[in-house]
Amino acid sequence: KGQQASPFVLRARRSMDKSGMPWHLRYLGQPEIGDKNRHALVRNCVDIATSDNLTDFLVEMGFRMDHEFVAKGHVFRKGIMKIVVYKIFRILMPGNTDSIEPLSLSYLVELNVVAPAGQDVVSDDMRNFAEQLKPLVHLEKIDPKRLM
Amino acid sequence: VAQVPVAEGKSVQQTVEMLTRKLELLGAEKQGTFCVDCETYHTAASTMGNQGQTGKLMYVMHNSEYPLSCFALFENGPCLIADANFDILMVKLKGFFQNAKANKIESRGTRYQYCDFLVKVGTVTMGPSARGISVEVEYCPCVIANDCWNLLMEFMQSFMGSHTPGIPSVFGTKHDSIYSPADTMVQYMELFNKIRKQQQVPVAGIR
Repeated sequence: KGQQASPFVLRARRSMDKSGMPWHLRYLGQPEIGDKNRHALVRNCVDIATSDNLTDFLVEMGFRMDHEFVAKGHVFRKGIMKIVVYKIFRILMPGNTDSIEPLSLSYLVELNVVAPAGQDVVSDDMRNFAEQLKPLVHLEKIDPKRLM
Repeated sequence: VAQVPVAEGKSVQQTVEMLTRKLELLGAEKQGTFCVDCETYHTAASTMGNQGQTGKLMYVMHNSEYPLSCFALFENGPCLIADANFDILMVKLKGFFQNAKANKIESRGTRYQYCDFLVKVGTVTMGPSARGISVEVEYCPCVIANDCWNLLMEFMQSFMGSHTPGIPSVFGTKHDSIYSPADTMVQYMELFNKIRKQQQVPVAGIR
Protein backbone atom coordinates (compact mmCIF):
# COMPACT_ATOMS: atom_id res chain seq x y z
CA LYS A 1 0.00 0.00 0.00
CA GLY A 2 1.27 3.45 -0.83
CA GLN A 3 -0.07 6.84 0.06
CA GLN A 4 -2.90 6.40 -2.43
CA ALA A 5 -6.33 5.15 -1.34
CA SER A 6 -6.39 2.07 -3.53
CA PRO A 7 -3.71 -0.56 -2.94
CA PHE A 8 -1.73 -1.99 -5.82
CA VAL A 9 -3.06 -5.47 -6.49
CA LEU A 10 -1.28 -8.32 -8.23
CA ARG A 11 -2.64 -11.79 -8.82
CA ALA A 12 -0.40 -14.87 -8.73
CA ARG A 13 -1.66 -18.13 -10.10
CA ARG A 14 -0.24 -21.61 -10.56
CA SER A 15 -1.43 -24.87 -11.99
CA MET A 16 -2.12 -27.59 -9.44
CA ASP A 17 -2.53 -30.41 -11.89
CA LYS A 18 0.33 -29.77 -14.31
CA SER A 19 3.76 -29.83 -12.72
CA GLY A 20 6.65 -27.73 -14.01
CA MET A 21 4.50 -25.03 -15.59
CA PRO A 22 5.49 -21.41 -14.96
CA TRP A 23 3.53 -19.41 -12.44
CA HIS A 24 1.36 -16.63 -13.81
CA LEU A 25 1.44 -13.08 -12.51
CA ARG A 26 -1.23 -10.63 -13.58
CA TYR A 27 -1.77 -6.95 -13.08
CA LEU A 28 -5.27 -5.58 -13.76
CA GLY A 29 -5.72 -1.84 -13.91
CA GLN A 30 -8.74 0.23 -13.06
CA PRO A 31 -11.80 -0.10 -15.32
CA GLU A 32 -11.42 2.17 -18.32
CA ILE A 33 -13.36 5.41 -18.68
CA GLY A 34 -16.36 5.22 -20.99
CA ASP A 35 -16.95 1.82 -19.54
CA LYS A 36 -20.62 2.41 -18.72
CA ASN A 37 -21.68 1.99 -22.33
CA ARG A 38 -19.73 -1.17 -22.93
CA HIS A 39 -21.23 -4.58 -22.36
CA ALA A 40 -18.14 -5.94 -20.71
CA LEU A 41 -15.71 -4.71 -18.08
CA VAL A 42 -12.51 -3.48 -19.73
CA ARG A 43 -9.24 -3.20 -17.85
CA ASN A 44 -5.60 -2.76 -18.73
CA CYS A 45 -3.83 -6.09 -18.26
CA VAL A 46 -0.21 -7.17 -17.96
CA ASP A 47 0.49 -10.91 -17.89
CA ILE A 48 3.87 -12.25 -16.82
CA ALA A 49 5.06 -15.86 -16.68
CA THR A 50 7.47 -16.45 -13.81
CA SER A 51 9.57 -19.03 -11.99
CA ASP A 52 8.06 -20.83 -9.02
CA ASN A 53 9.54 -18.59 -6.31
CA LEU A 54 7.00 -15.88 -7.18
CA THR A 55 5.30 -15.60 -3.79
CA ASP A 56 8.62 -15.33 -1.91
CA PHE A 57 9.71 -12.68 -4.36
CA LEU A 58 6.51 -10.65 -4.03
CA VAL A 59 6.89 -10.64 -0.24
CA GLU A 60 10.50 -9.48 -0.65
CA MET A 61 9.19 -6.65 -2.86
CA GLY A 62 6.90 -5.57 -0.04
CA PHE A 63 3.61 -7.16 -1.07
CA ARG A 64 1.56 -9.06 1.43
CA MET A 65 -0.94 -11.80 0.68
CA ASP A 66 -4.52 -10.64 0.82
CA HIS A 67 -6.29 -13.88 0.08
CA GLU A 68 -5.81 -17.19 -1.67
CA PHE A 69 -8.14 -19.83 -3.05
CA VAL A 70 -8.20 -22.92 -5.20
CA ALA A 71 -10.29 -23.05 -8.36
CA LYS A 72 -11.19 -26.32 -10.05
CA GLY A 73 -13.25 -26.70 -13.14
CA HIS A 74 -13.23 -26.54 -16.91
CA VAL A 75 -11.91 -24.16 -19.51
CA PHE A 76 -13.67 -23.64 -22.84
CA ARG A 77 -12.58 -21.52 -25.76
CA LYS A 78 -14.45 -19.87 -28.63
CA GLY A 79 -12.00 -17.92 -30.76
CA ILE A 80 -10.29 -15.52 -28.38
CA MET A 81 -13.06 -15.82 -25.78
CA LYS A 82 -12.33 -17.95 -22.79
CA ILE A 83 -15.13 -19.36 -20.66
CA VAL A 84 -14.21 -20.85 -17.32
CA VAL A 85 -16.68 -22.88 -15.27
CA TYR A 86 -15.27 -23.50 -11.83
CA LYS A 87 -15.85 -24.05 -8.14
CA ILE A 88 -14.01 -21.96 -5.62
CA PHE A 89 -12.45 -23.72 -2.64
CA ARG A 90 -11.45 -22.10 0.60
CA ILE A 91 -7.97 -23.02 1.86
CA LEU A 92 -8.24 -24.06 5.49
CA MET A 93 -4.59 -23.61 6.43
CA PRO A 94 -2.63 -20.83 4.67
CA GLY A 95 -0.35 -22.23 1.98
CA ASN A 96 -1.67 -25.78 2.33
CA THR A 97 -3.64 -26.76 -0.77
CA ASP A 98 -4.29 -30.31 0.43
CA SER A 99 -6.90 -29.21 2.93
CA ILE A 100 -9.64 -27.30 1.12
CA GLU A 101 -13.40 -27.00 1.24
CA PRO A 102 -15.83 -25.67 -1.37
CA LEU A 103 -17.03 -22.13 -0.79
CA SER A 104 -20.45 -23.09 -2.14
CA LEU A 105 -22.06 -25.88 -4.14
CA SER A 106 -22.45 -23.59 -7.16
CA TYR A 107 -20.12 -23.14 -10.08
CA LEU A 108 -18.94 -19.72 -11.13
CA VAL A 109 -19.05 -18.98 -14.87
CA GLU A 110 -16.61 -16.40 -16.13
CA LEU A 111 -16.27 -15.12 -19.68
CA ASN A 112 -13.12 -13.17 -20.45
CA VAL A 113 -10.99 -12.10 -23.35
CA VAL A 114 -7.46 -10.76 -23.54
CA ALA A 115 -7.24 -8.51 -26.58
CA PRO A 116 -5.05 -5.67 -27.84
CA ALA A 117 -5.99 -2.24 -26.51
CA GLY A 118 -8.80 -0.43 -28.25
CA GLN A 119 -10.63 -3.43 -29.66
CA ASP A 120 -13.92 -2.49 -28.04
CA VAL A 121 -15.98 -4.48 -30.53
CA VAL A 122 -14.89 -7.59 -28.62
CA SER A 123 -17.35 -6.69 -25.87
CA ASP A 124 -20.21 -6.98 -28.40
CA ASP A 125 -19.08 -10.52 -29.28
CA MET A 126 -19.02 -11.32 -25.59
CA ARG A 127 -22.55 -9.99 -25.10
CA ASN A 128 -23.79 -12.02 -28.05
CA PHE A 129 -22.24 -15.17 -26.63
CA ALA A 130 -23.59 -14.42 -23.17
CA GLU A 131 -27.12 -14.14 -24.63
CA GLN A 132 -26.84 -17.72 -25.87
CA LEU A 133 -26.21 -19.03 -22.37
CA LYS A 134 -29.53 -17.68 -21.06
CA PRO A 135 -31.59 -18.85 -19.20
CA LEU A 136 -29.07 -21.41 -17.91
CA VAL A 137 -26.57 -18.71 -16.93
CA HIS A 138 -27.07 -14.95 -16.65
CA LEU A 139 -23.70 -13.37 -17.29
CA GLU A 140 -23.47 -9.82 -15.96
CA LYS A 141 -20.87 -7.16 -16.14
CA ILE A 142 -19.40 -6.80 -12.65
CA ASP A 143 -18.38 -3.62 -10.90
CA PRO A 144 -15.01 -4.37 -9.25
CA LYS A 145 -15.36 -1.41 -6.89
CA ARG A 146 -18.27 -3.12 -5.20
CA LEU A 147 -16.04 -6.07 -4.40
CA MET A 148 -12.89 -4.30 -3.14
CA VAL B 1 31.60 -14.84 -13.99
CA ALA B 2 34.77 -13.03 -12.98
CA GLN B 3 36.35 -9.65 -13.17
CA VAL B 4 39.69 -9.20 -14.89
CA PRO B 5 41.64 -6.13 -13.82
CA VAL B 6 42.81 -3.67 -16.44
CA ALA B 7 46.45 -4.43 -17.37
CA GLU B 8 49.11 -2.10 -16.00
CA GLY B 9 49.54 0.88 -18.28
CA LYS B 10 46.82 -0.27 -20.68
CA SER B 11 43.26 0.83 -21.31
CA VAL B 12 40.12 -1.26 -20.81
CA GLN B 13 39.86 -1.81 -24.54
CA GLN B 14 43.49 -2.90 -24.87
CA THR B 15 43.13 -5.39 -22.03
CA VAL B 16 39.99 -6.83 -23.64
CA GLU B 17 41.93 -7.22 -26.90
CA MET B 18 44.75 -9.02 -25.11
CA LEU B 19 42.26 -11.50 -23.67
CA THR B 20 40.41 -12.09 -26.92
CA ARG B 21 43.67 -12.54 -28.80
CA LYS B 22 44.72 -15.25 -26.33
CA LEU B 23 41.36 -16.98 -26.84
CA GLU B 24 41.69 -16.86 -30.62
CA LEU B 25 45.22 -18.30 -30.41
CA LEU B 26 43.81 -21.18 -28.36
CA GLY B 27 41.42 -21.83 -31.21
CA ALA B 28 38.23 -20.28 -29.91
CA GLU B 29 35.76 -19.11 -32.55
CA LYS B 30 33.81 -15.88 -32.46
CA GLN B 31 30.09 -16.47 -32.21
CA GLY B 32 28.34 -13.15 -32.17
CA THR B 33 28.03 -10.68 -29.36
CA PHE B 34 26.43 -10.63 -25.94
CA CYS B 35 25.02 -8.12 -23.50
CA VAL B 36 24.09 -8.35 -19.84
CA ASP B 37 22.54 -5.30 -18.23
CA CYS B 38 21.39 -4.36 -14.76
CA GLU B 39 19.01 -1.64 -13.62
CA THR B 40 18.53 -0.63 -10.02
CA TYR B 41 15.19 0.13 -8.38
CA HIS B 42 14.66 1.33 -4.88
CA THR B 43 11.51 1.37 -2.82
CA ALA B 44 9.98 4.84 -3.01
CA ALA B 45 10.05 6.89 0.18
CA SER B 46 6.25 7.01 0.35
CA THR B 47 5.93 3.25 0.80
CA MET B 48 8.58 2.73 3.45
CA GLY B 49 6.62 3.91 6.47
CA ASN B 50 3.77 1.44 5.89
CA GLN B 51 6.00 -1.59 5.59
CA GLY B 52 8.30 -1.01 8.51
CA GLN B 53 11.25 -2.10 6.37
CA THR B 54 14.29 -0.11 5.38
CA GLY B 55 14.48 0.85 1.74
CA LYS B 56 15.44 -2.07 -0.46
CA LEU B 57 17.35 -2.31 -3.68
CA MET B 58 15.94 -4.49 -6.39
CA TYR B 59 17.94 -5.31 -9.50
CA VAL B 60 16.27 -6.00 -12.83
CA MET B 61 18.62 -7.66 -15.28
CA HIS B 62 18.61 -8.90 -18.83
CA ASN B 63 20.90 -11.36 -20.59
CA SER B 64 21.05 -11.66 -24.37
CA GLU B 65 21.56 -15.42 -23.91
CA TYR B 66 17.94 -15.54 -22.70
CA PRO B 67 16.33 -12.87 -24.87
CA LEU B 68 12.73 -13.48 -23.78
CA SER B 69 13.47 -13.35 -20.07
CA CYS B 70 13.91 -10.80 -17.37
CA PHE B 71 15.65 -11.48 -14.05
CA ALA B 72 14.65 -9.63 -10.89
CA LEU B 73 16.69 -10.05 -7.75
CA PHE B 74 17.48 -8.78 -4.29
CA GLU B 75 20.99 -9.01 -2.87
CA ASN B 76 21.05 -12.12 -0.59
CA GLY B 77 17.44 -12.65 -1.61
CA PRO B 78 15.44 -14.57 -4.18
CA CYS B 79 15.96 -14.24 -7.92
CA LEU B 80 12.79 -14.29 -9.98
CA ILE B 81 12.93 -15.40 -13.61
CA ALA B 82 10.10 -13.80 -15.57
CA ASP B 83 9.22 -13.06 -19.16
CA ALA B 84 9.88 -9.68 -20.76
CA ASN B 85 6.53 -8.26 -19.59
CA PHE B 86 8.09 -7.83 -16.15
CA ASP B 87 9.64 -4.61 -17.46
CA ILE B 88 6.15 -3.33 -18.24
CA LEU B 89 5.01 -4.21 -14.73
CA MET B 90 7.88 -2.15 -13.30
CA VAL B 91 6.53 0.84 -15.24
CA LYS B 92 3.12 0.29 -13.59
CA LEU B 93 4.85 0.06 -10.22
CA LYS B 94 6.76 3.32 -10.59
CA GLY B 95 4.88 4.87 -7.69
CA PHE B 96 6.41 2.24 -5.42
CA PHE B 97 9.76 1.47 -7.06
CA GLN B 98 11.94 4.15 -8.51
CA ASN B 99 14.43 3.42 -11.27
CA ALA B 100 17.82 4.84 -10.39
CA LYS B 101 18.66 5.42 -14.04
CA ALA B 102 22.18 6.67 -13.32
CA ASN B 103 23.02 3.28 -11.80
CA LYS B 104 22.34 1.29 -14.97
CA ILE B 105 25.36 -0.84 -15.71
CA GLU B 106 26.03 -3.28 -18.53
CA SER B 107 28.63 -5.60 -19.97
CA ARG B 108 28.93 -5.96 -23.72
CA GLY B 109 31.34 -7.91 -25.83
CA THR B 110 32.09 -10.92 -27.97
CA ARG B 111 30.95 -14.48 -27.50
CA TYR B 112 33.51 -17.21 -28.13
CA GLN B 113 33.06 -20.94 -28.41
CA TYR B 114 35.92 -23.32 -27.64
CA CYS B 115 34.88 -26.98 -27.82
CA ASP B 116 32.29 -27.33 -25.04
CA PHE B 117 33.09 -23.98 -23.47
CA LEU B 118 31.37 -20.66 -24.03
CA VAL B 119 33.42 -17.58 -23.14
CA LYS B 120 32.11 -14.04 -23.05
CA VAL B 121 34.55 -11.17 -22.60
CA GLY B 122 32.76 -7.93 -21.91
CA THR B 123 33.51 -4.27 -21.33
CA VAL B 124 31.53 -3.11 -18.32
CA THR B 125 30.15 0.39 -18.79
CA MET B 126 28.13 2.78 -16.69
CA GLY B 127 26.74 5.52 -18.88
CA PRO B 128 29.48 6.63 -21.23
CA SER B 129 32.43 5.39 -19.20
CA ALA B 130 34.13 2.00 -19.30
CA ARG B 131 34.54 0.79 -15.74
CA GLY B 132 36.03 -2.69 -16.02
CA ILE B 133 36.11 -6.08 -17.68
CA SER B 134 33.95 -9.15 -17.11
CA VAL B 135 34.71 -12.68 -18.26
CA GLU B 136 32.02 -15.33 -18.21
CA VAL B 137 33.04 -18.95 -18.77
CA GLU B 138 30.49 -21.69 -19.18
CA TYR B 139 31.08 -25.42 -19.49
CA CYS B 140 27.95 -26.33 -21.42
CA PRO B 141 27.53 -30.11 -20.97
CA CYS B 142 27.47 -29.98 -17.17
CA VAL B 143 24.49 -28.94 -15.04
CA ILE B 144 25.94 -29.59 -11.58
CA ALA B 145 28.29 -26.69 -10.85
CA ASN B 146 30.56 -28.37 -8.37
CA ASP B 147 31.19 -31.33 -10.70
CA CYS B 148 33.04 -29.22 -13.26
CA TRP B 149 34.68 -26.50 -11.20
CA ASN B 150 38.16 -28.01 -11.55
CA LEU B 151 37.77 -28.28 -15.31
CA LEU B 152 36.53 -24.68 -15.54
CA MET B 153 39.48 -23.51 -13.46
CA GLU B 154 41.99 -25.37 -15.64
CA PHE B 155 40.47 -23.87 -18.80
CA MET B 156 40.43 -20.34 -17.35
CA GLN B 157 44.10 -20.62 -16.38
CA SER B 158 44.98 -21.20 -20.04
CA PHE B 159 43.95 -17.67 -21.01
CA MET B 160 43.42 -15.77 -17.73
CA GLY B 161 46.59 -16.94 -15.98
CA SER B 162 46.91 -15.44 -12.54
CA HIS B 163 43.57 -13.65 -12.89
CA THR B 164 41.71 -16.95 -12.67
CA PRO B 165 39.10 -16.45 -9.96
CA GLY B 166 38.37 -18.61 -6.96
CA ILE B 167 35.19 -20.68 -6.73
CA PRO B 168 32.12 -18.41 -6.94
CA SER B 169 30.08 -18.10 -3.75
CA VAL B 170 26.89 -19.30 -5.54
CA PHE B 171 28.57 -22.67 -6.16
CA GLY B 172 28.98 -23.11 -2.42
CA THR B 173 25.27 -22.92 -1.71
CA LYS B 174 24.27 -25.07 -4.69
CA HIS B 175 25.77 -28.36 -3.43
CA ASP B 176 24.42 -30.84 -5.99
CA SER B 177 21.38 -28.98 -7.22
CA ILE B 178 21.04 -28.09 -10.88
CA TYR B 179 22.70 -24.91 -12.04
CA SER B 180 20.29 -22.28 -13.31
CA PRO B 181 20.58 -19.04 -15.34
CA ALA B 182 19.61 -17.23 -12.12
CA ASP B 183 22.96 -18.35 -10.64
CA THR B 184 24.76 -16.62 -13.51
CA MET B 185 22.75 -13.43 -12.97
CA VAL B 186 23.61 -13.38 -9.25
CA GLN B 187 27.29 -13.52 -10.20
CA TYR B 188 26.91 -10.64 -12.64
CA MET B 189 25.05 -8.63 -9.99
CA GLU B 190 27.89 -9.17 -7.51
CA LEU B 191 30.46 -8.22 -10.15
CA PHE B 192 28.54 -5.08 -11.14
CA ASN B 193 28.17 -4.04 -7.49
CA LYS B 194 31.89 -4.48 -6.95
CA ILE B 195 32.71 -2.43 -10.05
CA ARG B 196 30.30 0.35 -9.03
CA LYS B 197 32.14 0.70 -5.73
CA GLN B 198 35.58 0.73 -7.37
CA GLN B 199 37.18 3.95 -8.40
CA GLN B 200 36.71 4.94 -11.98
CA VAL B 201 39.34 3.50 -14.34
CA PRO B 202 41.78 6.39 -14.75
CA VAL B 203 41.61 8.03 -18.14
CA ALA B 204 44.89 7.86 -20.02
CA GLY B 205 46.10 11.40 -20.37
CA ILE B 206 47.73 14.30 -18.64
CA ARG B 207 46.23 15.49 -15.36
